[in-house]
Amino acid sequence: MKLLLAEDEPDVQLIARLSLKRAGFQVVPVNNGLEVLERVGAEAPDAILLDWMMPDMDGFETCMRLKADPATRDIPVIFLTAKVQESEVARALALGAAGCIGKPFDALTLGQQVLTILGK
Amino acid sequence: MVAAAFLQAGAVVWFETLRDSSGEAMMRAGQRFDHQTRMNRVVAQLENEHRSYLLIGLPVFRADFDRRWREYVNLPTLLVQYVDEEQDKKSVAEVDRQLQQWHQMVTDLMDRREQLADLPRVWQDQTAPPMRRIQNALDANQRRDFVLLNDQIRNASQLNFNNAIFTLALPAIDIIMLLVLVTVLARILLDPLAAIAESARQISGGNFDVRLPPARRDEIGALVKAFRDMSTAVQFRQRDLSSALSREREMSQMYSALRTNAEQESARLQATIATVPAALVILEAPSGRVVLQNTAADMLIGREPDAEADQQLYWESFHASYRDGRRCPVDEWGPRRALRGEVVVGQELIVKPQDGRTVPILVSAAPLRNDLGVITGAVAAFQDISNLYEIDRLKSEFVSIVSHELRTPLTSIKGSLQLLLTDVPMPDPDHRVLVDVALSNTDRLVRIINDILDISKIEAGKLELHPRPYDVHELVNLSIQSVGQIARGSSVALTPIVPPDIPKVNADPDRTIQAIVNLLSNALKCAPARSEVTLEVRSDPPGFVTVAIADRGRGIPAEKLSQLFQKFQQIDGADTRKLRGTGLGLAITKALVEMQGGSVGVTSEMGQGSTFWITIPVVK
Repeated sequence: MKLLLAEDEPDVQLIARLSLKRAGFQVVPVNNGLEVLERVGAEAPDAILLDWMMPDMDGFETCMRLKADPATRDIPVIFLTAKVQESEVARALALGAAGCIGKPFDALTLGQQVLTILGK
Repeated sequence: MVAAAFLQAGAVVWFETLRDSSGEAMMRAGQRFDHQTRMNRVVAQLENEHRSYLLIGLPVFRADFDRRWREYVNLPTLLVQYVDEEQDKKSVAEVDRQLQQWHQMVTDLMDRREQLADLPRVWQDQTAPPMRRIQNALDANQRRDFVLLNDQIRNASQLNFNNAIFTLALPAIDIIMLLVLVTVLARILLDPLAAIAESARQISGGNFDVRLPPARRDEIGALVKAFRDMSTAVQFRQRDLSSALSREREMSQMYSALRTNAEQESARLQATIATVPAALVILEAPSGRVVLQNTAADMLIGREPDAEADQQLYWESFHASYRDGRRCPVDEWGPRRALRGEVVVGQELIVKPQDGRTVPILVSAAPLRNDLGVITGAVAAFQDISNLYEIDRLKSEFVSIVSHELRTPLTSIKGSLQLLLTDVPMPDPDHRVLVDVALSNTDRLVRIINDILDISKIEAGKLELHPRPYDVHELVNLSIQSVGQIARGSSVALTPIVPPDIPKVNADPDRTIQAIVNLLSNALKCAPARSEVTLEVRSDPPGFVTVAIADRGRGIPAEKLSQLFQKFQQIDGADTRKLRGTGLGLAITKALVEMQGGSVGVTSEMGQGSTFWITIPVVK
């Protein structure tokens, strides 16, 4: 499965990428929401992992745009949140996200968690 | 005075009597003398006539003599009328007797005249000597009478003189007495009156210190007393008047002072209202018309209220809404509620005044009442809390930014360590232990960050719970699962005791599990090796479910029990150092449970162990 990973922290991006690779995913890393929107069309991922806080366009807005665009509406979006505010989860779900994974995530089970959320 | 009059009358009478009596006396003396004189003349004539007859013998002389004797006969009786003295009376009687004898003798002789020789000798020897004696006596008598009369006359004239004096003197005395009387009267009457007049003059001049004549029992005394009373009354009146006057002056001063005060106060109030940084608006009841609006209000609200017609529009123009976006109708506005008698404190509203801004404000309002308690108006204060909203937002942002910033590197560390542990063969057990240590400390850091975030959210009132009906069994199971690692790591047995018929509870699952997990992990840390930790669920107290976690540890001293749920309280003991928490766990547990409507508690016995419990409200 191809995952579009939007995470602005390079270290975290690395860990996530490695972890997901171990789980068998193909990972396309981008640094912020804008890049997501730019690359989503070309990459056609099976799911998008969005960090909540990103520069230029945060996860919330990115998701909103993704869901507003019929071309990208159906791609499942999973949020990576620091779970700072309860409202984050609610808003994420309200936006139509498929689920949330809290940070720091367990690198060993990250892949499994994604699969669980995607219903696989 | 009366006595004097009587005396005078008496004196006059006496004098008159005296005069009368002396006049009478004089008259009597006069009469006596007259009669005596007459008697003497008659006797002298008797002598002459008898001698004439005797010597001459003419019958005419005898006739004269007889006639004369007849004239004499009554004289002694007549005379003696006017004689008072007994002696004199006897003398008159004696003379008369002698004369009678003589007459008899003479008569005898005259009758025998013819027979008589030597008639001159008869006369000389027989009739003349007794006659001489008689005449001597009569002369003597006459002389005496004359003296007496003189005396009387002298008396009388003396009396007249006295009388004259008296008559002159009496009026003089009267005049003097009158003068004296008048003077005395004047003294008696006029002096007090003058004194009273003088006192009156003094009093009218304001001087009340006057001397009045002493008290007397008469009308003057009554007048003086009355005057004194009146003067006293006037004095009191005067005093009352002065005090009333000075009171009035005082009051007038007080009034102007009060007015000045009131004006100052009013000015001060105006100044205060004008400059107070909060927007103040004063409304009048019941219309809600704005009667006062200070500068801050002008700036906040953006416009001033005009005519009365505009009032409703004025209020509605704010488009007030609550923080959650609901529209706030005009009648729910704080100021309008205050007009109905409500005291509104801290009503948070978002208003949109005409200039297009959106301003969050805090509204406080209270009714204004008069002395009777009737609502006459309302005063409302609005505070622009854009700042506060901003600060709030920043606070939330800060917390979220910080925790995000902290979690991010931890993610990297943890991830790296985990991947290393699995992917890198480490034959040396020490190496594995080292990585393990790094990993567990990373987890510990995460826990600390979570706790700090939780407690700061709780204290800021920003922790939101979403309780919903939940099965207790599931909560317990999920909790036990979470501590599975720790339980497996130690030799402590975790025994759940959950009766089947526990009702559903109203709980936020994540947070409730967090609380139970906190207690479980504490218990597992404290329990001695190979002992048992029980998790018992009970359906009490009424309306609640109790989850009680008991360990067989060392116990907690009684004096520490009350402090346990406070922040930064650690479980003591060297053997627990490895698993020490942040000291925030129990505080967070307490807050979470209580926010759901439950409670926490602990019982412990030294050497026996401790039991921590929470209650969760049951679904109604």
